[in-house]
Order: sequence, then C-alpha cells, then structure tokens
Amino acid sequence: MATSTAPKAVPTAAETPPSPRKPKLSKRRRREALSFYLFISPWVIGFLVFLLGPMIASVYYSLTDWDSFNPPKWVGFQNYVTALTDDPVFWKALGNTFYYAAISVPLGLVLGLWLANLLNKQVRARKLFRTLIYLPTLIPLVATAMIFRMVLAPNGPINDFLGLFGLSGPNWLLDGPWVKPALILMSAWGAGAATVLLLAAMKGIPRELYEAAEVDGASATRQFWSITLPHLTPIIFFNLIMGLINAFQIFSQVYILIPKGKNPAGYDAAQTMVPLLFDQAFSYYRMGYASAISWLLFLVILVFTVIAFRTTRRWVFYETEVK
Amino acid sequence: MTLDSARFSRRGFLGLGVAAGVITLTACGSGAGASDAPLVMTVWGGDPDRKTYQARIDLLVKKHPDLKVKLQLIPGDAYPQKVQTMIAGGTGPDIMQVAESVNTYSSKGQLLPLDDLAKQAKLDPEQRFGPAGSLYTYQDKLYAIPDRSGAVTVFYNKDMFDKKGIKAPTADWTWDDALDAFKELTVPGKVWGYSGAEWFPQWWSLAYQNGGTIIDAQGRPAVDSDEVVEALQWAGDLVFKHKVVPSKADYADMGPDIGGDQAFPNQKVATHANGFWVMSGLTKVKFGWDIAPMWRGKKQAVSAFGSGLAISRTSKQRDNAFKAIDFLTSAEAQKVIIASGQDVPADLEVQKSQAFLKPSWMKTDVDMGVFAESSAFVFRAPFIPEWNQMIDTISNGLADFWLGKERSAKKALTAVQKDLESLIKSGA
Repeated sequence: MATSTAPKAVPTAAETPPSPRKPKLSKRRRREALSFYLFISPWVIGFLVFLLGPMIASVYYSLTDWDSFNPPKWVGFQNYVTALTDDPVFWKALGNTFYYAAISVPLGLVLGLWLANLLNKQVRARKLFRTLIYLPTLIPLVATAMIFRMVLAPNGPINDFLGLFGLSGPNWLLDGPWVKPALILMSAWGAGAATVLLLAAMKGIPRELYEAAEVDGASATRQFWSITLPHLTPIIFFNLIMGLINAFQIFSQVYILIPKGKNPAGYDAAQTMVPLLFDQAFSYYRMGYASAISWLLFLVILVFTVIAFRTTRRWVFYETEVK
Repeated sequence: MTLDSARFSRRGFLGLGVAAGVITLTACGSGAGASDAPLVMTVWGGDPDRKTYQARIDLLVKKHPDLKVKLQLIPGDAYPQKVQTMIAGGTGPDIMQVAESVNTYSSKGQLLPLDDLAKQAKLDPEQRFGPAGSLYTYQDKLYAIPDRSGAVTVFYNKDMFDKKGIKAPTADWTWDDALDAFKELTVPGKVWGYSGAEWFPQWWSLAYQNGGTIIDAQGRPAVDSDEVVEALQWAGDLVFKHKVVPSKADYADMGPDIGGDQAFPNQKVATHANGFWVMSGLTKVKFGWDIAPMWRGKKQAVSAFGSGLAISRTSKQRDNAFKAIDFLTSAEAQKVIIASGQDVPADLEVQKSQAFLKPSWMKTDVDMGVFAESSAFVFRAPFIPEWNQMIDTISNGLADFWLGKERSAKKALTAVQKDLESLIKSGA
C-alpha cells in the first residue's frame, strides 16, 4: 500500500531542493525518459484535460452566478454563503450524507471482516460460498436497485420475514425515517468486495505466527485479535478510505432506488449531496451554485480523509516497518 | 516539453491544469456553424418516436427539397441535460422540442420569439390548434408552435362497468357521480375504482375545475386558496378516506414501477385518468375498454400533455427552421403522429379527421372524438421559468399528504404556498 510513507514523510522529501543544473543524461537514460513520458502521456493528458482542467474551471464557476447558457456573472463567495447560511436543503442533504456514511462504512467493514473470517475456515463448499458472497458486487447497480425495490416493498420478502416474528415492517422506501436504513441495507449487500480483499490478506498471514501462538496456548479468539486483525489493518484502512469517499459521493443508489419523480417522499427523506448538486446543475440550471456545493463536498471528504490518515499511526500495522 | 525539465514541479503541473481550465472555460463560449449545414432538430423519446419524427421529416424534405434536417433523438430523462450541454458548448439545435419547461429556456434568452415569423408565414396558432395555440406564449411572446397535444382522458374498463350496471362516464359527471361509481367498482384489496389522483396534472385538473389556479393571473402562487384546498382534499380522500384509489403502498405491492398506467391494463383499477400513452399498454388486453372526457366540477377543466417546437436563438437559419416547423405542424405532417400511434397531434383539423377517429392500428372501437371534445376545455397550465423547482416544491411538500401521514390538504398546501412564495419572488 502506497499509503505507508505519508505520516512520516513530512520533514525531509516534501520540497524538492532547488537543484543545480543537472548533468547531461546519458543517451540510454534519455531514451528511457522519453518512453516514460510517451507512455504516461495518455493518462497525463486525460487527467489535465478531463479532470484537473474542469476542476479548476469549476472553482471559477463556483464564484459566479451561471445558468450554463448566458455568460457567468461574478458574485464572489455568494454561492458558498447561500449554501451554508440560507439553504436548509443543503444542510439536510449533508446530514443525510453523514448519516449514511457513518453507518454504512463501519457496517461494511465489520460485515466484510466477519464474512472473510468465516470463509477462511475449513468448511465444505467454501469456494462456492466465496463465489456467492462476491456475486452481488458483480450485478449492475441498476439491477440491484430494482431487486431491492421489490425486496423492500411494503408486502415484500423482508417485511414478510419480519412478520414471522410478529413485527409489522415499515414502508421502507416510502416512509421518511426508513429510507436511509434501506439505502444502508443495500450497501451492506455489496460487502463482498471488501470480503475478497480481506480474505486475500488473511491468506497472506504467515502460518508460523499461528503455530507459535498455538504452542503458547492462545485461544482462537486471542489469535484473531492478536494476529489476524493487526495484519489486516492496512486492508481495513484501504477499505475505510475508499468506503468513506464512495459513501460521501453516493448518487446512483439514491437516483434509482428512490427516483424523485415517482417517490418524492422517499427522495426528500434521503437526498444526499451529489443528487442535490445534480438537481441544482441540471434541473434548476444553477451551475455556479452546484459548483460551490461540489467544492464544499470536496472539503468535507478531504477533512475526513486527512483525519483517517492522521490516525493511521495508532492503529495501522505494516509488517515491513517492524523489522 | 524538453527533457531538461524532466522532473517537473508540482507548481508546473498545477500550471498545466490552470491552462487546461482556461481552455475549458473558453471552450464553453464559442462555436460557429456554416449556414448550409442541415438543421439540427432535437426531440426526446424512444425508437417509435424516432420513426414517427423521421417519417414527418421525410415528408418535409419531399415538399421542400432545399431543406435538410438532421434528427437527434435523446432519451427522455436525459433530454434537458443533453440540450443544456449542447447549447453551453455552442452547438445548440436549430429546432428543439419543448414542453413544460419552455420558459426555463425562454427566460434565459435561449428561444427565439416566433410572432413575426408566424405572421409572415400566415400561421395563426389559435386557428390551427384552438386553446393550445397560446400554451407556449409567455409575457405576450410566442415561443413554440404546438406539435403534440392530448388532453387527459378517462380510461374505463367496460366489462367492470357493465357488470355493476354503471353507465359510462361522461363530461357531465359531477365529483359526486364519480365518487359513487368508484365506490361501487371497488372490491377491497383487489380492485380499486380509480387511479390517477396523485400526479399533478391529475389533481390540478380538479383544482381548475373547482375555480382555483396554481399560479394566479398576477404570476403569484395561489395553492392555498379554498378552491385548490377543497380539490386536493377530495383527491386525497379518494385514497385514504374512501379507499377507492390505491395508495403508494398498494402500488408498491403490485411490483416495482407499477402505477395507474400498468394497473389499469392489469384490471387492478376500473377507471384511470391519464394521457394518450396509456393506450399502448391496452392493444393486447382481453377486456373491453373505452375512453371518456374528464368529468366536471363547478366548470370543465382538464390538463393536457404535449410539446411544441421552438427555434433556438443561436440558430443560424431562422427562416428555414420556421419553414420546417410550419410544415411539421400542418395537417399533412401531423397525420403521421396518429397513423403511427405515437401521440395526439395538436392540429385540430387532424384531431377531427377520419385518420384520427379511426386509426388503422386500433383493433377495438374507441371513442377517439373525446380528444377533440376535451381540447375545448384544456386549462392553461402555468409554464413559469421556475417550473422544475415549482414541481419539486409541490411534490416534496405534498409527500406526506400522499402517504396519508398528513390528512389535511389545508395544512399541506399552506406550507407549500410559503415555499412557493420564497421561490417565485417576481410577479410576472
């Protein structure tokens, strides 16, 4: 994982020192460098033109009032001020996004860890189980959302199942407070992706450690907490960062599971940041405002990612570091 | 770049990004088109729509060989975004299909007022299309020529009506007559008397029948008036008090994406009010059905679904574009719309013609005259520039009402009125 250098790299290599004119490169080195630039150029050009360029353009647009048709009008920080002080929908969407991220990400990790641990056991047909658990992640999101609309129907399978215990299930996708749990439920269904990564990492833990622990008389639980889990922390960290970013940017699930036109109550209850900025940009023609929202979302994601990185030293364990 | 700067700095990289950003910014402002290029016409829909539009364009080119038209069909839900990016990118269409959001474009200066061109071509919208002719007029300027326009009609299951001995619905039914019939037709948990209360074109019809308006003559929101409140309450009571209309939960149990349009062909509801497209689901059903005009309240009023053709302000060939629109909305080209079963043509002459009343694809006897009859009392829906926000505000504000959590239409609409007032600040 490339993330390992981040915390301690601060003082030394951060700024490239103003180097004196470098000595001429040998012919072979020049050719090597040339092919490096040649081969990396598709990515660099793509990144500059389709990502960094538009990103920087959107900084400008976020400071304007722009309907995407007429020339943008400079308004300074007005869009940011409006979003933060005068738009209840913005705060509601942000709250919904936090709610979703705060539950779905840890839930996905715990579930993935649990499933990986189970699949690592010497059970019969475990290859079949591994396939089955990974399978949901291969199904296109649209199909998944359609299935979940049926599963979560008021008289659908989930509520029928709850009915067996005498519980009357809610109208998942229609009833305000239950829409976000429904989205989280759907995200949990995709835990297979994390499971596979964790399982692969589990396979990589040296057997000797367990053998030694067994000799010392450590129980299976103790082995899990003291050997398995510490070895998995880099993977857990990776999944945490990816999960956070994806959760903050949740869009398609909302868009398909609770379409605004057909289910305004559900959409209203679970509108998250990206659907909000999509509406502003492409339905209300407030491109400038939408750009401002996207930068605010960027800041939010940045803050949480930085927090996650800052804490790595305390809980992420890299085998290579303790030699 | 030269190899000496091989290890280029972060600042340099960011600088390249800025350059790319500037290119992005400037690219959004320019664009040119040659004048002998074909007219670009954007429409929404699926494959049947493409065939129908193309057939009409073929007729146009046969009549005016000097015109060239390139049809661009865009799936319905992506249409606004696609047209938006086309215009922003400087390659906007010449002719574009518009509907409720016509004045979102016109208020941003994207549509050409057509009054002068229409006068030159001697096209009188009132005469050609009836009340629909002024549908796309905003602040005394005509922005689109009506192309497709079909009123909401009442679809009813003849077999169910006959079994209960109920006479077919008519334009003279009152709200009470309708409610009595729906109660009679309902079999609790199995068949509902009616569907089609909740969507805005449906309950707005009731509001206008009751003498209310959504936006008043001064351009201010007016949804908390007694007339509108009473109409919405009646519609809501159909679902939650009388239980003659399926609730959202009932629909969700029928399957994903099931609404009245699917429930009617499945004989889950006996009556349904909606647009022409419901017929496409009825060509293969085994039961007898027909259509009737919407019933009446204090007066007759009904929503219509349709679209018009507009000319983008950036078009380099305004005269040719109008010539094309003039022909496409004439009786000759409009006949294709009904012959293919796509929709109701806006042209009144066609709506009354034999080609419309007895289309060849219609297997059963359906009273198609209902559309011409209804077009006389189509109300003028408020196509304000903030249309999309208005519809979202109304549907969000009434979400709890249609879930049965808030049973008072008065309370719900008072809240919506407040939101609409902060949205629509300028009186027209």
